[in-house]
Amino acid sequence: MKIITCYKLVPEEQDITVTADGNLDTNKAAPKINPFDLCAVEAGVQLKSLIEGCSITAMSVGGKALENPKARKDILSRGPDDLTVVIDEKFEQLLPHQTARVLMAAAQKTGFDLIICGDGSGDLYAQQVGLQLGELLGVANINAVSKISSAEPGKLTVERSLDDEVEVLEITLPAVISVSADINEPSIPSMKTILAAAKKPVTSLTATDIELAEFPALVELVSVIAPEQKARQKIVIEGDDEQQIAQFAEHLRKALN
Amino acid sequence: MMSKLSNIWVFSDIASRLPEMIAAGVALGEKVSTFVIGTEAEINAAFSYGATHVYYLGDKDSQKIIEDYSHTIAQTISATTENTLMLLAPTKRGKALASKLGVQLQAGVVNDVTEIDIENGVRAKHMAYGGLAIAEEKINSPVAIITLSSGVYEAQATDTTRTGEAVNVAFIEPTTAIQCVERRAKQGESVNLGKAKRVVGVGSGIGSKENLQVAAELSALIGAELGCSRPIAETEKWMERERYIGVSGVMLKPEIYFALGISGQIQHMVGALGSQTIFAVNKDKNAPIFQYVDYGIVGDINKVMPALISALKA
Repeated sequence: MKIITCYKLVPEEQDITVTADGNLDTNKAAPKINPFDLCAVEAGVQLKSLIEGCSITAMSVGGKALENPKARKDILSRGPDDLTVVIDEKFEQLLPHQTARVLMAAAQKTGFDLIICGDGSGDLYAQQVGLQLGELLGVANINAVSKISSAEPGKLTVERSLDDEVEVLEITLPAVISVSADINEPSIPSMKTILAAAKKPVTSLTATDIELAEFPALVELVSVIAPEQKARQKIVIEGDDEQQIAQFAEHLRKALN
Repeated sequence: MMSKLSNIWVFSDIASRLPEMIAAGVALGEKVSTFVIGTEAEINAAFSYGATHVYYLGDKDSQKIIEDYSHTIAQTISATTENTLMLLAPTKRGKALASKLGVQLQAGVVNDVTEIDIENGVRAKHMAYGGLAIAEEKINSPVAIITLSSGVYEAQATDTTRTGEAVNVAFIEPTTAIQCVERRAKQGESVNLGKAKRVVGVGSGIGSKENLQVAAELSALIGAELGCSRPIAETEKWMERERYIGVSGVMLKPEIYFALGISGQIQHMVGALGSQTIFAVNKDKNAPIFQYVDYGIVGDINKVMPALISALKA
């Protein structure tokens, strides 16, 4: 079985700052693998341990950040056998319907039985790529997969944790599944897997290599800005003697009533 | 007066979300066409919420999953020629359907939308970067597809005298196979901080695990749920992940948020800024938390917490 696990590089959210004019500054935020996609990779690795003759290709599409050797090693140290990246300047800020189209072209090139994606990414959190990719490829596809219960050639049984119930689904392969963050606890790469990652094959493709057709702009991103802040009272009592604490307690008591 | 679209399509896989979805349809469209899977009572319910047209997809079928209806819904929508908007509940099924319809109808999709503007084409806002920012997207396709966050539109009063036109829609088999072999109720509801009216948040400034007990006592005393900052959940592992507030964690909307020993990094605060009133205790008067409070006290948590507890008990 040929598994592709897709991932996206997103800025480390803890290092994003908000500028005075409400824009996000991601300059100090190093690119990291989208946390949801770590679950997708882990799901692929666990699946591989269940079935014989399984290979995992990690796949990503995007801009220059994908050339970074550290980021490549990072994804490969998580367990995939090899890596395929599709890099183009115009992939810098793709929207989900476009990402899905690029991944479709790339997956058609490499072939697959199963593609595993995360449910969303930490930047735009559009939660669409896996589903749209599956739909474009014309294969079975579903989101919110919270457990892979069993796998056999040509068929997967999964659980889907929804708002009101759990569905147990049999999915005929080829298929694309998007997994939710609760599917597993991604394992931390060991020194051994990090060293091994450096030796794994990487294929770097261009838009021409995957014969990418022009893609539409069904949606365009107008702006990304920090939300306006509510005005606050900002009554701050400096000091913690009995009287000051009593004063603070009084504010709290009023708010509670 | 805001202009309206001539027709809005609505679907919710969860009955309780339907009234507000239809309310959004009524606010944005002249006609509100609602897809219904279920009984005649559910058709009537849709009319009573304000739907003008019901497209009836048949009774609930345990063999089918909601996503199996994507081709049927896409076919029905594509039969109309005008520019239109489809609104779906922001559930996992709603999002799956939205993406499938997006491909089938060559339509732009935006999820978890908190604001819709239809003045010049359809524009939609939604949270990005875990709440640090709001992204605004413009949908260029003739059909726009949106999953709408809850609470954006208020459900209208139910009026059981309202009726409308019901149309039976024939099911179109999906082209790919996903078989539902079992359904079961979800195991026990875990804590839902996002719905709590009062929340106490604990940060690294709490100092020790023993102090957590004191924070819990204070929290119980004011009838609050206990939450925490990311380091408490991820580094210290003193609390479960579903209790951590902020980017990639829980977003709060309580009446009162009370921050104990929380420094107030924006990554935490985005989860708390929806609170009506914010209280904070922190020993550092320069901590960013004090930029966001309504009432704050600069003091030692070991002193303030017990004193507050006895003051509140008095």
